[in-house]
Amino acid sequence: MSSLHKISVSVFYIFLSLTASGGGPYRPSAGAGEAGMGYVCIMKNGFWSSFHNQASLAYNKSFSFGLNYENRFSIKELGTRSVGMTIPAGKASLGVVYSHFGYTDFKRDMTGLACGIKLSEKISAGIQVDYFSERASGEYGNNQSVTCEAGLLVTPSENIRIGIHLFNPVPNSIRKTYLPTTLRVGAGTDLNKLLFAGVEVEMSSGSKLIIRTGFEYEAAKKLWIRSGFSTNNNSFSFGLGYLAKIAQINLGFTTHEKLGVTSSVSLIFKIH
Amino acid sequence: MLKFLLILFLLFLSFWSFSQETNLSEVVINIAEELAADDSDPEAAVTYIERLYELAENPVKINSAGENEISRLFFLSDFQAKALTDYAHSSGRIISVYELINIPGFDKETAEMMIPFITLDSKTTVNSDSVHWRNTSITNLSIRSGNDDTTSLGSTWKILTKYKFTAGGFSGGFTAEKDPGEKFFSANPPLPDFLSANLTYIGSGLIRRLIVGDYSARFGQGTNINTGIRTGLSLTAPGYMSASDEIKPYTSTDENNFFRGVAAEFSYENLGLTLFYSKNYSDATLGSLSGSSKDYIENFYLAGIHNTSSLLQKKDAIYELAYGINLSYNFNNVRVGFTWSGDRFSLPVKMTGNDPVDIFDFEGDRNNLYTFSYNGLIKRILLYGEFSTNEYKKYAIIQGLSFRPSDRLTINFIFRNYSAGYISFHGKGPGAGSATGNDQGILGNFTFEAAKHLFISGGCDIQKFQWLKYRCSSPSSAMRQEIRVRFTPTETLTIDASYNNRFSMVDNTEANGIPEQKQIITKSIKGSVRYSPYENLTLGTRIDYKVVDPSGSKGMLLLQDMVYRFRQLPVTLWFRYCIFQTDDWDSRLYTYENDLLYSFSIPALSGEGSRSYIMAKWDIVDFAEIRVKYGLTSLIESGTSTKNNKELKIQFKIQF
Repeated sequence: MSSLHKISVSVFYIFLSLTASGGGPYRPSAGAGEAGMGYVCIMKNGFWSSFHNQASLAYNKSFSFGLNYENRFSIKELGTRSVGMTIPAGKASLGVVYSHFGYTDFKRDMTGLACGIKLSEKISAGIQVDYFSERASGEYGNNQSVTCEAGLLVTPSENIRIGIHLFNPVPNSIRKTYLPTTLRVGAGTDLNKLLFAGVEVEMSSGSKLIIRTGFEYEAAKKLWIRSGFSTNNNSFSFGLGYLAKIAQINLGFTTHEKLGVTSSVSLIFKIH
Repeated sequence: MLKFLLILFLLFLSFWSFSQETNLSEVVINIAEELAADDSDPEAAVTYIERLYELAENPVKINSAGENEISRLFFLSDFQAKALTDYAHSSGRIISVYELINIPGFDKETAEMMIPFITLDSKTTVNSDSVHWRNTSITNLSIRSGNDDTTSLGSTWKILTKYKFTAGGFSGGFTAEKDPGEKFFSANPPLPDFLSANLTYIGSGLIRRLIVGDYSARFGQGTNINTGIRTGLSLTAPGYMSASDEIKPYTSTDENNFFRGVAAEFSYENLGLTLFYSKNYSDATLGSLSGSSKDYIENFYLAGIHNTSSLLQKKDAIYELAYGINLSYNFNNVRVGFTWSGDRFSLPVKMTGNDPVDIFDFEGDRNNLYTFSYNGLIKRILLYGEFSTNEYKKYAIIQGLSFRPSDRLTINFIFRNYSAGYISFHGKGPGAGSATGNDQGILGNFTFEAAKHLFISGGCDIQKFQWLKYRCSSPSSAMRQEIRVRFTPTETLTIDASYNNRFSMVDNTEANGIPEQKQIITKSIKGSVRYSPYENLTLGTRIDYKVVDPSGSKGMLLLQDMVYRFRQLPVTLWFRYCIFQTDDWDSRLYTYENDLLYSFSIPALSGEGSRSYIMAKWDIVDFAEIRVKYGLTSLIESGTSTKNNKELKIQFKIQF
């Protein structure tokens, strides 16, 4: 398949179905750790998960900084670069995220400001305001859009976490650019001290229901193995993570029935 | 609009959650949705929800140990009603609702379903020594986008107001309603488009009940008279509705299915007698044979909407005299009953078309029905049956069996055979259709407490239609199957899953000539989880998936509910966000929504889009509350453009 053909097929899959693995293209790509376990992340505490369910920001109590690169289907034009930062602020935690997708003829930038807070022993909540900017060459023009997203994290017991996340609940009639609405609900549990497993369902307006499941296993001290499956394109995921002194490095690989493998890498630094 | 939406969103951010006080159980919601999905009987869901609200408003006093009082829990089986009565007799007093689980025939699921509708107070409502006035007034205002037809006669608001009082053995009230587009006051003298009123006396002596005004009635299995809910509601309901004779004040808003006149129920030892007489005006389309005046009924108009001049002409075009008698006698464990009812119309009904489907339709101006019914309890087996016939020797037969081999298992069978040509204008027998005719079928179901906290129920209904019916140009058949599993590991968590399979036949309109039948097979899976992390907060998630063959069209939805009751404020909030996607109308999905009191909403979701609503209840003072609901359905049309349908409902309730 020629590169151009691959690109056009990929763009078709991503921008018409809006359900490519990893969620809709209007959200920043998940970190490589989350990608490794099939993007099951809204109930999981973690740096990049915090930008998929801002409620889990409340559990990020250290100043952290992260970088992520996703190489979708090994096509550089479809690469996404993301950078994020979390800042503890008393009972709450704040977050900033920026991602850049695309190439010369099509770019999409997303900037998000997030806040998460623990409301009670069992419940935390979070919100994020997003600004999207799309630039396309030729007659397609540019689009800008503002929306928001919010999430809940419920911990019924020490080992169980339930995540609920709603992206773009604002009706499209009040703005020019169409954005899909996405609802995600998931639950995860620590099956033992070493193994976490979760399941998540997602539905976006105009798209079909997606079910995801994944696990993370601490194979050795500071070394994690991850895997997952998504009904969207019957996609399998695999990943590895390693924690060094102040940085955690993660690798993730996700398959697509027709388009090949998406690989991603992320670095997370905990400053203090 | 933008401000409102921002407020809505901020409310969601701040107060997501849930309260249980008006939360109907999952089982009840499932039944309501099943009824709504059954296109052949759209009014059943309305009646069902209204009766539940009535029960919630005036809960059954289970410690009164009166069989009549306990039989108001219409969703219980005869077994359960009898077991509950016996238990209340023998134990003296039920102290906690959780005691119900220990009663033979009751499980946690049934007990939980009963909680909103019962009270442990033992005083019965009939107490002439202490006359206590209780007044309740409810006013609903609602508007939705799309109801702005400029040809309509009145405003686009729907207005409903109800008033009810009780004082000792007396009660009464009225209901007034106008639908969107109707004038609130019409005709001469100017009265609300729909106005209903009643005055009721309930006694404990010879006269058990006397109603003047509007009332509903039901005798036996309902093949002769039943203006309420039919039996055999659900394939998998934990209880199986028992047949009971009753007349009750009419408080609903169906403008054509009730009696207006006098009804009286007498009781002497084991003998029961009910007499009723009604003269009620009904909507109809009239025709003329002579050309000068309208002299026959072309068809009855049942929609109740009069928002244009032509529809207004149909309003109260004819009157109907209805009268009847019901006699029942209780032997030890056997009850037998006889019912005779008659209908007289002010103009004769004439069939004007040549469609073979209508060949068994009613013609003439009078109809008489005669019914014999029985039910008997033999140890753990309940047998019941009914035979009704008209003057043309067309009949309706029912034979049912309910068997409880153990306290954890109940099995029901019911056979019905309604011949084409059997017509009952106010009857509604067990079965899937709205009309009690041209239907032969058998329904079987079971409920089983498989393990602690785990309940399994299933059912199958097989139907045959001996004659043609709507969209079926030859005799046809249908089938429904369902299995449901419910797991309640803790009091705060409920997991529910069900599989439903439906088969029906319709004309294949794509072929020329006499249409062949094509089979429509619908399979659906539902899963829901309801969790209450705190007493004042409940979260609910649900997934539905449906496939329709042979077209292969699919429907799916994901929804999230949150309800929250403030601790410091007398305010409760309901919130829902639902995203759905269906390929066509056949794969549409139904979801029950919390709504105003005495109202219900089960929208049919079709196409691609989202459905969200927020509702707030504020108890302003002890005797007054206000509810406001704002709903938004957003449909994606042609790519990325969206169409929004909005609705706003407001309710005021005063009780003193």
